[in-house]
Amino acid sequence: MAVEEKLASEGRGTMPGKEQLARNDLLRAFAPLHRTAMGIAWGVVCGALLAMATLVPVLKGNDFLSLGLLGQFFWGYRVSWPGVLIGLLWGFGVGFALGYGFAFVRNAAVWLWLTVVRSRAEMDQYSDLLDHL
Amino acid sequence: MEPEEQQIEHAVILLNEKLLGVVLGILFGTGLFLVTNFLVLKGGRHVGAHLGLLSNFFPGYRVTFLGSIIGFFYMFVVGMIVGVVLGAVYNKIAKA
Repeated sequence: MAVEEKLASEGRGTMPGKEQLARNDLLRAFAPLHRTAMGIAWGVVCGALLAMATLVPVLKGNDFLSLGLLGQFFWGYRVSWPGVLIGLLWGFGVGFALGYGFAFVRNAAVWLWLTVVRSRAEMDQYSDLLDHL
Repeated sequence: MEPEEQQIEHAVILLNEKLLGVVLGILFGTGLFLVTNFLVLKGGRHVGAHLGLLSNFFPGYRVTFLGSIIGFFYMFVVGMIVGVVLGAVYNKIAKA
């Protein structure tokens, strides 16, 4: 239903009946992911997870998971109260890169697949062109 | 009305938040369940010494068969929350 809602909100969902459904199915199958939205969504989740994972050892006063080793990769990160905020920011950054990258690669793969399918269809269509001349 | 190709270019997939939550919940839960039981079956002197540290986050979790079931439920909830938040944030921005 999501694509239909999107189309309806843009005033593009006006085609009635089966043709509309077929068009919506087509859009649902080939529509790309929103890269920035995916990046931000992953950023929020990863940032929150790292912040909460840091918060537990901080509250217990014991870095039982040796999370401080993440400071080797995330500059400034420590298992401390400021480290919770720094972890949130680093988690957001890494999550954003992962989410954006995932959406980018997925969209590129769909585009590549569509290009191959279209090329094959065109080849099939014109393969007997010389026979008709 | 725009040509079909342009519609495809402008359309954006929206996610089903609840479905994503359930899927990630099952994946996360099954992952911890399998990893825990792998270590239980593998055996040894210190079974799951590192994985057992998860009990600091998930009270009641242990590297045993019963612990793997408890861990499944914990990770299901975590995955569910991750999926719902992921879907909600994505949809909010993609719709804007």
